[in-house]
Amino acid sequence: MAPEYGSTSPRSTGEASLPAGGARIGVDVGGTFTDVVLALASGRIILNKTTTTPRDPGEGVVAGIDAVLAEAGIAPGLVGEIVHGTTVASNTILQKVGARTGLVTTLGFRDVLEIGRIRTPGMFDLGWKKPEPLVPRRWRLEVAGRIGADGATVTPLDEEAVRAAARFFLAEGVEAVAVCFINSYVDAAQERRAVEILRAEAPQILVTASCEVLPEIKEYERTSTAVVNAYLLPAMRVYLGQLTRRLAERGITAPVQVMASNGGMVGIATAGSKPVFAVGSGPAGGVTGAARIGHAVGAPDLIVFDMGGTTAKASIIEGGMPSLVTEYEFRDGISSPSRFIKGGGYMLKVPAIDIAEVGSGGGSIARIDAGGLLVVGPESAGGDPGPACYGRGNRRPTVTDANMALGLLNPQALAGGSLPVDPALSLAAIQVEVADPLGIDAIAAAHGIRQVANVNMARAIRAVTVERGKDPRDMALMAFGGGGPLHAVDVARLLGIRRVLISPVAGVFSAAGMLSAEAEHSFVRAILAPLATVPDAALDAARTALAADGREALAAEGYGGAAATLRFSADLRYAGQSSELTVPIVADLDVGGLAAGGLDPAGLDASRRAALAEAFHRLYAETFGYRADEPVELVNLRLTAVGTAAGRLDFDRIDLDPSALAGNSGSRMVSFERGCPPVATRLAPRSAVADGPIAGPAIIESYDTTIVVPPGCTARAAAAGCIAIDLDPA
Amino acid sequence: MPQDSKPPSSKPAAAALDPITFAVVKNAMDAIVDEIAYTVIRTAKSEIVKDVMDYSAAICDARGEMVAQAKTIAQHLGAIPEAMASVQARWAGRIAPGDAIILNDPYLGGMHLPDIFMFHPVFHEGAVLAWIVVICHHTDVGGRVPGSNAADSTEIFQEGLRLPPLKLFEAGRINETLEAVIAINVRVPDRVLGDLHAQHAACQVGAREIGRMIQRYGGAGFSGYLDALLDYAERMTREEIRTWPDGTYRFTDHIDSDGLSDAPVPLSVAITVAGDQLTVDWAGSSPQVRAAINSTLSYTKSNTFLSVRCALKGDIPNNAGVFRAITVTAPEGSVLNPQPPAAVAARALTGYRVMDTMFGALAQIVPDVMPAAGEGGNTVVCIAGRKPDRSPFIVVDMISGCWGGRPDQDGIEAITNPSQNLSNAPVEVMERTHPVRIESYALVPDSCGAGRWRGGLGLERSYRLLADEAVLQLRADRVLYAPYGLDGGGTGGPAGNWLGEGAARRALPGKVTMEMRRGEVLTHHQAGGGGHGDPFARDPERVAHDVWNGKVSVEFARTRHGVAVDAATGTVDAAETTRLREARNS
Repeated sequence: MAPEYGSTSPRSTGEASLPAGGARIGVDVGGTFTDVVLALASGRIILNKTTTTPRDPGEGVVAGIDAVLAEAGIAPGLVGEIVHGTTVASNTILQKVGARTGLVTTLGFRDVLEIGRIRTPGMFDLGWKKPEPLVPRRWRLEVAGRIGADGATVTPLDEEAVRAAARFFLAEGVEAVAVCFINSYVDAAQERRAVEILRAEAPQILVTASCEVLPEIKEYERTSTAVVNAYLLPAMRVYLGQLTRRLAERGITAPVQVMASNGGMVGIATAGSKPVFAVGSGPAGGVTGAARIGHAVGAPDLIVFDMGGTTAKASIIEGGMPSLVTEYEFRDGISSPSRFIKGGGYMLKVPAIDIAEVGSGGGSIARIDAGGLLVVGPESAGGDPGPACYGRGNRRPTVTDANMALGLLNPQALAGGSLPVDPALSLAAIQVEVADPLGIDAIAAAHGIRQVANVNMARAIRAVTVERGKDPRDMALMAFGGGGPLHAVDVARLLGIRRVLISPVAGVFSAAGMLSAEAEHSFVRAILAPLATVPDAALDAARTALAADGREALAAEGYGGAAATLRFSADLRYAGQSSELTVPIVADLDVGGLAAGGLDPAGLDASRRAALAEAFHRLYAETFGYRADEPVELVNLRLTAVGTAAGRLDFDRIDLDPSALAGNSGSRMVSFERGCPPVATRLAPRSAVADGPIAGPAIIESYDTTIVVPPGCTARAAAAGCIAIDLDPA
Repeated sequence: MPQDSKPPSSKPAAAALDPITFAVVKNAMDAIVDEIAYTVIRTAKSEIVKDVMDYSAAICDARGEMVAQAKTIAQHLGAIPEAMASVQARWAGRIAPGDAIILNDPYLGGMHLPDIFMFHPVFHEGAVLAWIVVICHHTDVGGRVPGSNAADSTEIFQEGLRLPPLKLFEAGRINETLEAVIAINVRVPDRVLGDLHAQHAACQVGAREIGRMIQRYGGAGFSGYLDALLDYAERMTREEIRTWPDGTYRFTDHIDSDGLSDAPVPLSVAITVAGDQLTVDWAGSSPQVRAAINSTLSYTKSNTFLSVRCALKGDIPNNAGVFRAITVTAPEGSVLNPQPPAAVAARALTGYRVMDTMFGALAQIVPDVMPAAGEGGNTVVCIAGRKPDRSPFIVVDMISGCWGGRPDQDGIEAITNPSQNLSNAPVEVMERTHPVRIESYALVPDSCGAGRWRGGLGLERSYRLLADEAVLQLRADRVLYAPYGLDGGGTGGPAGNWLGEGAARRALPGKVTMEMRRGEVLTHHQAGGGGHGDPFARDPERVAHDVWNGKVSVEFARTRHGVAVDAATGTVDAAETTRLREARNS
């Protein structure tokens, strides 16, 4: 079994009779560990970390849930809700184990999916491998039937060809089919009719219509999104079905919510029919939790920095909301920190938290290249064999080894004492692989490894801030993940950031963050008309349809009345441009606005449209540095339908087990700066910040993470269980 | 003969620098140059920059040597040294903070007139320490045809507004005279000025960030690290070239014609490897031609450098250190070093063929790296006319293609040419914007060159005109000289153009300017990639998979690969395959 965190003997909670909905469980399945967090209505939090079971991830999930329930002494029937971040969707794509998937498309466009957008992610690489399309050409079938760009029917649908396609798919053993017709974003009648026929002819085949997942212009993006959805359908349904059964066997009948890529939750029914929205499920919980904490500590603008074993991820929270993108490419390996490079992955045009990722984690390997340059990552030693100091056979130094050599990490054992280490192995690896080739000593080389990793990670942060026109110096950096608190201050320095926040339960923060999420459903209707002159009737029709969709989706998950909120927004651009900015349609556009929480877009009279255009001009100028005196086009109307769970986790009220805050006291020698001798450094348990500020140099250890407080910085207890580290102005 | 290589740097040895700071500076420069490029794409006004991404960005040192390049159009960057020399020749000693100098004259280091370079100095204590360079392909720079890109001009004076190095910004203030001259000479001044402002915004972002680095490391320290970066790339390049066998390697490829005459346009190269130095000589290539496909020397060098860069296996930084190991010469008055006033607007085609020719010679030096020929450069389709409301429209569409078979894998299909990183225009956006209906956008089965590793399939795209009439300008190549195969691989399927449908469909020449009428359909096939290795040595299972997957026909499998495949199941008939393969060998 896995090492347990905060595993003291069960306290008497007196909560055996707590009302349903009072106990909520967050589950984050990662590559190495499955993290489970149980939150009680009282604010008490119980953690568990168990080994991930890759072949059947549900096994690890229920093991973790069993453990937290036992520790809390709570009956399974009292669990009110389970929120689940799952990598089933992403792993299904990475491992190419999705459905045998077919595609039905318009005559002449069989290869849109394979052609894609033509670009390559790198230059000069003649050996590049373009990702194989998820549907082979054989199973991409064309049918006659054509809608013009104006919505007129050019050619009626060849229904017999659709029936023939269904028969062919059955004969070929195809399990799921996507349907995407050219211009279906204008009129989807032919597409819907084709889906109807396929479902009637081949009821055992799962079908996704492109207009159901993405009714937007651009045929490749829509086709690809629909295909990924179809590809994931069986795997997601099987997984969620098994999980529900396993939970029921234990007497847990609480609804399961799945984290979506945009940081909201969706019910199991939605996750099972639109799995494409859950491809980015894994990292979403931490960002959502960070946004919630930002509220609690009065920092609505935050940089979120999550450093794990293989990669580091950066994203931003603005005005208390995670920053989203409307499309991204999902790919094997590390996403490029430079996001204008496309072509390396599977295009998903669904709202997702804007996350930049670099191949710098604790396990990233340092080496000297042929030209004599020190390179760190993206190759990783992972968890097995792991860094050199684990003594499991890896002799190449990693970032963790550099931290070990400098004295930043506990020299006896990591992971709450469960993982013995040997710093001499770290030093030897650094000496041979880095220090000797560069002609410097091992400690200097260790600083070098750390510094190069920090610069790489700073680059991910630049990608979500500077490249978006945001100045990181205006924001605080919130760090979590196994390595985040170890590197946060140095990364902050590189970017001129003056305040670092270390999240509570940093090592399992993604699971905790999920418990603070809201249920969210996104809908979109294409408009594509000048904002000033789009007919009221068109706006009204779009708004009515969106609102109906939104209320229906929320009602299906039990959110109604005050728990349901509709947030409209508009995708706007200057006429002639090709990419849009999303502008919220909020009440304060105009003092005469409708109910708080959102302006009803049907009320967009001329003056409100002018106000919306002005909001776009401002956002554009803020993002790109100039504004144009040009007509504004309304591309899409969007709706986010939000449901707020009754027992949503409030970080202000969390009550951590003292054992989760315990750690070593005393001191050890730590090298903070290259060329300066190591200094005697105070060791403190996390609980010690409650007793007063801790001046650097200091190392704060707890079960799930190590926090570095360099000389000149001071760590203080902050709201919501955070530790704030203010950097010296230098 | 022009010389472009420099002796190895005699600056203080890299050993004097801190190796850790060196690694940090390198990564920071890569981040900044990408940030510059990102600013361009987010602020530009034109489709050709925003959607097609025909632009590039670089950071140069005080002398104008390129130190870092964004992952944009690789082809642009080798031209920077010549352009920078022109800037220095005109403005040395008269450059002030806040200046931004633009240039597009192909005979002063530019490439063709639509590509406007912008140079922005970064000052420290009164001296220029670095330059930010941003190049954009502008929608129009005047001249006789919209887009300023006609292949059939015969003098540069027909091609649009020529700009020697001029200050568009002086000490941060726009030069209103120059701005007004540009505005009145181009067809879409809002797009052109908008994109120039995007270039300027990006330059300022770069200058600000480089300024911060200079603050951190000091002027001399910063320059020292830039020198070290160039030395590092040079060192890695030379180390790899040293492993190449000494000798002279020759290759000749062709452009079908310049479009004004039927004469083929040969390009011939001789690459000499001597130790760690390459000499590339284009003697024997065609004299300059009448039509606008002449490639200025700077553009010829740019594509020559780029070809070598593709042949290097190491993860070498994108900087001018690579160029130091390469000397390029081309005869004056040739199509690869034309003399004024030769027209050059459509020189991209010649650039692609320079790459193909270089690749053919490099394949003899590093056969384990180089692919057979790909499609040979994107086809440009231009359809211009008036909508029913009499407002004008111009469709400018670029059709990309595929790569040739590689030494250890098939060529990629539906991919940008390796010298570019172009994207494609979405069908639905094009139909929404212009009176055309796209009737197909698809792979062309059997268009690959056969080989142990086959070439990629070519692409088809067809357009139905929904306006009463329009003028069609089409620039395709590889109709007569199809993409070559390597090591016994077959040539790729040729490109082709057709007008009409069904029985009434008729072939058009590769390069054509003609009227199109309502309802007519134009179909273009882009060439398929050449094959690599003996087609009869291709794994029969791969051939069968291609048949199963609808990429090659049963007939193609049988005649080109000697593999008998059952069409319905995609299984190999082993006995028949053996018979077919032995029959050829006997």
